[in-house]
Amino acid sequence: MAEVLWIHYARARSPWYELSESAREEHLSRFAAAREESAAAGGRYAGTFHVRGWSDWSTVELWHFPDADAAFAHWNRLGDAAYAQWFAFANNIGLAAEAPA
Amino acid sequence: MKPLTGETDVFSHTAGSRCGVAFLARRHAAADRTGAARAVRAELAALSARGWHLSVTEMAGGQDEPTAYDTAFAHDVDVVGVFDAPDLSAALSGSVALEAAGWAKLFSTEWLIGPREFAPATTLDENSSDHHWGFFALWEWNDAWQAASADERRAYDADCDVAFAADLRAGVTIAGRHRLDWASNWHHLGVWEVSDPAQLDDAMLDHERVADFKFTTSRHYVGRKRPIAELLEGGW
Repeated sequence: MAEVLWIHYARARSPWYELSESAREEHLSRFAAAREESAAAGGRYAGTFHVRGWSDWSTVELWHFPDADAAFAHWNRLGDAAYAQWFAFANNIGLAAEAPA
Repeated sequence: MKPLTGETDVFSHTAGSRCGVAFLARRHAAADRTGAARAVRAELAALSARGWHLSVTEMAGGQDEPTAYDTAFAHDVDVVGVFDAPDLSAALSGSVALEAAGWAKLFSTEWLIGPREFAPATTLDENSSDHHWGFFALWEWNDAWQAASADERRAYDADCDVAFAADLRAGVTIAGRHRLDWASNWHHLGVWEVSDPAQLDDAMLDHERVADFKFTTSRHYVGRKRPIAELLEGGW
């Protein structure tokens, strides 16, 4: 199966802004652990970019995964860490295309 | 896969790897519509031979030709539909193969792909023929759901299940539930087949009554059920 680019747009939900700094840190460390697990399982993190000035979202985060199942597993890890409770999202996937001539 | 929501009287989790392939498609001009449609039909036959279910009736255990729903009369998309592939990889490669075979010449399409989470539910005979309309519900669990406790979510599921059980008694077929959030802004897809829009309207009033929509941001489509072979050829 072809490699999958996983495209993750995100913005904090309102309750996130009410959390204390330490509570945020606690959540963020869980999300980071999920990401590390996905990287150890073959995912390749390709960066996070600000898009707040020109989109409905705050950031877009990109990953390369060996296949669709690996992308799905990554999202499940974030789900287990209660990520979506704190961040609204729009996800998408891409398959490699030939470079424009 | 850990399901997002728990089982109810109406909804039971499915073991296995089945995966939904939904499409929201807009027709565009094609130079050789008939040739493209023929090639897509051949690809659909190949997918069927590899274990794909190409209609809600098939998902519920019956036999039918490939079907989708004509939505142009009421929506900004012309055709919506859903298939069920053997697994996630097959779903993705199959959607790409359909596009390459000629689908892309006929339609601009948003594909929504994700594993089946709940099994189909119906009280009807598997080959019931009085379902002439389809209903598509895409929804996101909203901020209120995200902030709710486990007990609050269970109580909400139980309230909604009262309405879902009434839908089944009224003869609605519910094609289970698919999980989309790994590659979409929607969490779930629910597809129904109903007799007519009046039956759907009655159902929605009941879902409003039980406050189904307090925890969701939803998008709904209604469409006339038609063989895909016809929808590929035209209709405009």
